[in-house]
Amino acid sequence: MTAIARTWDNLTLPGRALLIILPLLALLSIGLVVVLALFGQNILDILIFNLPIVRFVFAATVLLLLAPPIAFVIIYMEMKVIALMNLRIGPDRVGPWGSLLSTVHGLKVLMKEDFTPSRADPVVFTWAPVVVFATMPLSALVIPFAPGLFAQDFNLGLLYFFAMGGLTVVGLLMGGWASFNKYSLIGGLRSAAQIVSYEIPLTLSVVGLIILAGTMSLNSIVQQQGIYIDANGVTHGSGWFTDWFAFRQPLGFLIFAIAATAEANRTPFDLTEADSEIVAGFATEYSGMRFGFFFFAEYIGVFIISALTTVLFLGGWNAPFPVPHISWIVDPGSLGIGLLFVVALVPLLATLLFAAPFYLFRSKTRWWVALIIGFVLFNVVAAGLIGLWAYVNFDWVAGLFWFLGKTFTLVFTFVWMRGTLPRVRIDQLMGFAWKWLLPASLLNLFVTALAVLAVDWLRRGAA
Amino acid sequence: MDRALARRLDARFEGVLHGPAKQRHDQTEVRIGAGDVQQVLTALHDEPELNFTMLADLAGVDTGTEMQVVYHLWSSSTSDWLRVIVEGLSRDDPRIPSVTYLWPGAEWMERETYDMFGITFEGNRDLRRIYMPPDYTSFPLRKDFYLPDDAARSPGAGVRHVERTHSPVDAAPGVLRRTGA
Amino acid sequence: MATQTPPRPAKPAGAATPEGTHRSEDDPNVLLQDDYAFYEPIPPYPPRTEREAEFYTLGDGEMFLNMGPQHPSTHGVLRVVLKLDGERVVDIDPVLGYLHRGVEKLVENADYHQTISQVDPLEYISSLFCEWAPVTAYEKLLDVEVPRRAEYIRVLSGELNRIASHALFLGWFALDLGGLTPILWSFIERDEIVEMLAALTGQRMLFNYFRIGGVNGDLNHEFMSRLGDWMSRAVGQLEAGMGLLNENEIFVRRASGLGIVDSETALRFCMTGANLRATGVPFDVRRAHPYSIYPEIEFDIPTRTEGDSLARYLVRMEEVKQSLRIIDQCLEQMPDGPIMAKLPRLLRPRPGRAWAAVEGPRGMYGAYAISDGTDQPFRLKIHDPSFIHLQAVGALLPGNLLADTMAIMASLDPIMGGVDK
Repeated sequence: MTAIARTWDNLTLPGRALLIILPLLALLSIGLVVVLALFGQNILDILIFNLPIVRFVFAATVLLLLAPPIAFVIIYMEMKVIALMNLRIGPDRVGPWGSLLSTVHGLKVLMKEDFTPSRADPVVFTWAPVVVFATMPLSALVIPFAPGLFAQDFNLGLLYFFAMGGLTVVGLLMGGWASFNKYSLIGGLRSAAQIVSYEIPLTLSVVGLIILAGTMSLNSIVQQQGIYIDANGVTHGSGWFTDWFAFRQPLGFLIFAIAATAEANRTPFDLTEADSEIVAGFATEYSGMRFGFFFFAEYIGVFIISALTTVLFLGGWNAPFPVPHISWIVDPGSLGIGLLFVVALVPLLATLLFAAPFYLFRSKTRWWVALIIGFVLFNVVAAGLIGLWAYVNFDWVAGLFWFLGKTFTLVFTFVWMRGTLPRVRIDQLMGFAWKWLLPASLLNLFVTALAVLAVDWLRRGAA
Repeated sequence: MDRALARRLDARFEGVLHGPAKQRHDQTEVRIGAGDVQQVLTALHDEPELNFTMLADLAGVDTGTEMQVVYHLWSSSTSDWLRVIVEGLSRDDPRIPSVTYLWPGAEWMERETYDMFGITFEGNRDLRRIYMPPDYTSFPLRKDFYLPDDAARSPGAGVRHVERTHSPVDAAPGVLRRTGA
Repeated sequence: MATQTPPRPAKPAGAATPEGTHRSEDDPNVLLQDDYAFYEPIPPYPPRTEREAEFYTLGDGEMFLNMGPQHPSTHGVLRVVLKLDGERVVDIDPVLGYLHRGVEKLVENADYHQTISQVDPLEYISSLFCEWAPVTAYEKLLDVEVPRRAEYIRVLSGELNRIASHALFLGWFALDLGGLTPILWSFIERDEIVEMLAALTGQRMLFNYFRIGGVNGDLNHEFMSRLGDWMSRAVGQLEAGMGLLNENEIFVRRASGLGIVDSETALRFCMTGANLRATGVPFDVRRAHPYSIYPEIEFDIPTRTEGDSLARYLVRMEEVKQSLRIIDQCLEQMPDGPIMAKLPRLLRPRPGRAWAAVEGPRGMYGAYAISDGTDQPFRLKIHDPSFIHLQAVGALLPGNLLADTMAIMASLDPIMGGVDK
């Protein structure tokens, strides 16, 4: 027994974690295999019978699993980009160029003490971060990431999205009220007022777009911004970026962008968490994973709002230029025995080829270092080629690439604004929403509607 | 170096000054009693030839035998600073009229003088301690201020939680108060 | 395993707790009040003055908010009790004393020379000015004439310190309004200046450089080379920060019209410095009551008439440009000669009184020194501009929103070290 105790004492923390997790995993997988062998067919039948529910569960799980990595990337981006704008270095040590820092932050947040203030309402206090965090995957369910890559495609997808976005207010108010802290109360009320006021220009500014698109389904809105064939078999669109709704609804785009910044509680509208005035706003009394939830929810919110802006106005998963149809079919089977030679020789030869310049033209490089560099370069080139093949052959890869590119460009713009702009005051914010954005979005709506009617009338008059 | 100022002040405030106005370097100094404060300072502030609109400083002084309050004033009509020394305040109960009716900004300076010396400014709406805790029992800048006595009288003496952790079980515990203003 | 928590002390047997208290779980010898988590910043004693009584009675729908000594935005340890009506500030009661170090008492018990290091941490950002006023007062008591080279060096280092202090003001003001970037750029600027002054004085912040009768060390090669380097890109980072703010609609809308003071009120509140000049009164101690060698140096006094936060900010930024002019002229006109007057080690000034005021970055910084003929100062009274300006916040704030609290306080530029002495 003492040998086991001594071994246990000598292990590091990751070692101990692995020692517990690996046997459990082994047991679980054996159990899973047994269950599948015995009941596999029955389970499959049940799943096929309830396909929509399965699809929903699968999509929600994937979204929840992808949320932390996306949040980590955006948090790292914020730290690094703002640091570079501030002429500092930012995260530097943890991982290459500090990229693992936000992951480590996430783990740290898990290890912090999780307490409830003594006078806080425990139920509401505990559930506030959950509500705020839950709205994020719920609203992300309708966003089309690529052709065919979406969770659900309602006719009312856009309306559903705005409804879920409004649910955040409930969570923030819960957090602000239940904390039993005047700073949190002020922060929660400010955020409620802000989000509710900016919902209206947000939704009104896209009504013009809905009129033009004829549908609220986000999937078809994205399709209409590229080359698509509508119900009558007519091909629309040129494949260029001028098809995007940003050019057909410029005022709507502008209003939507401003209202989206306010919805996501980002600078210049970040007075809910203005840490120079009300410490941390509604999240003042939160610590540990609960604060982590609020924190994640904010950054996922940034991602989702950027995604929605991309989907609505910037063409979603469409490329900005018409990509010519190249067909690049790789058929490894046709090589026959040559495949074996290719797999054996190409990596070796490519490594030597890429290593040669470093070894021959740079006297300081030793031969094994050159070989390593060559191998890495070969991997990079091979991955690039495989990526290119996937891009050409699978439309969802291409779509995902453009979608993520555009979304992260917008996220970068949000981060950029945070580094540059000061904060507005609550009365200036509300005045701006009600006195400027709301009439502007109404104006946009009326002009769009009049334009559609006029074009229709002219067309009927001409025909 | 404005010698004329001293003569002007001597002429204007005859009978009120405790002696001729003195001038050295770039400062002119006059001395008055506590009862004449309002008259003299209002005259210095309001009269257009004097025009001492800026109160630069309000200080308390404990000379050992008496207390004094010293005002430093500046005017655009002269190149000198004017120092008005109000002397003769008793050390037991120094009282002097406040100048907050002329300069509302003197309120905190008078609070500080009260806090450090115990000089009561009559007419100051907010004469409470500004630096020391509100229940402090003595006046630090007085010449008869001795520190050890005050620490022993302080309500903070011996009530710190950390010091009580290993005290005998039957000792009377102190009540942990939340700090007042 | 690795760490063991110490055993809990035993509960005293049969001890009953007084009414309204209970025993703490961590240490049963400590009694806690039952409502210890419910904190209202109302003092536990009856109000001592009528102002206190007026402040601590709540009207209908008002609440107290305590911006405690620990807060991301108060400029040091300052406690402000706000009376709020929703988001609108009705009244404020600043509570000082968290940084009170008893400098005036300490100075009375020490030598004349030791005053300088005691008085440095008062307005720690602009330490040289904190040293300048008492040193000038003592020189008046000693009737000592400071050598011209020492005066020029004082002015040169003083103006560098002024630029550094205004750089900090720019950054802090922007930070309180929400902009993260200008403060970091200002600190690049400040870092260069402070390294320069470290080459000259030996210290980056609390310089301890002026001496009674001169300065402590002549200009050396490293200082001059750093200064020459810096002059070529002089206030580049500050101008970048200004470029980010001055035409920024959000910043201008936040700062303009905020905390307006008119010149009459400013004089009544004894305000000095940039805060006074932003209201239209062109009072600058360097021109109104010249000291040192300022009569020989040409510079302007930037003044504005609006009296709001934006005016105060713009006046300070203009002053930076004027400081650069002064530095240029100092470098051109720098005479040779000694840097310290000949004085005995143990100073015994004549019994007397002296007042000296200098123009610090925050306002008029004054020192009133009384000597009784011995080798210890009898009284040193420091007049600190931040102290006065913080008082004015109480008059400017009511009617504004909570977010403006920080903006107004930042625009008046108080440093708590000076406020609390």
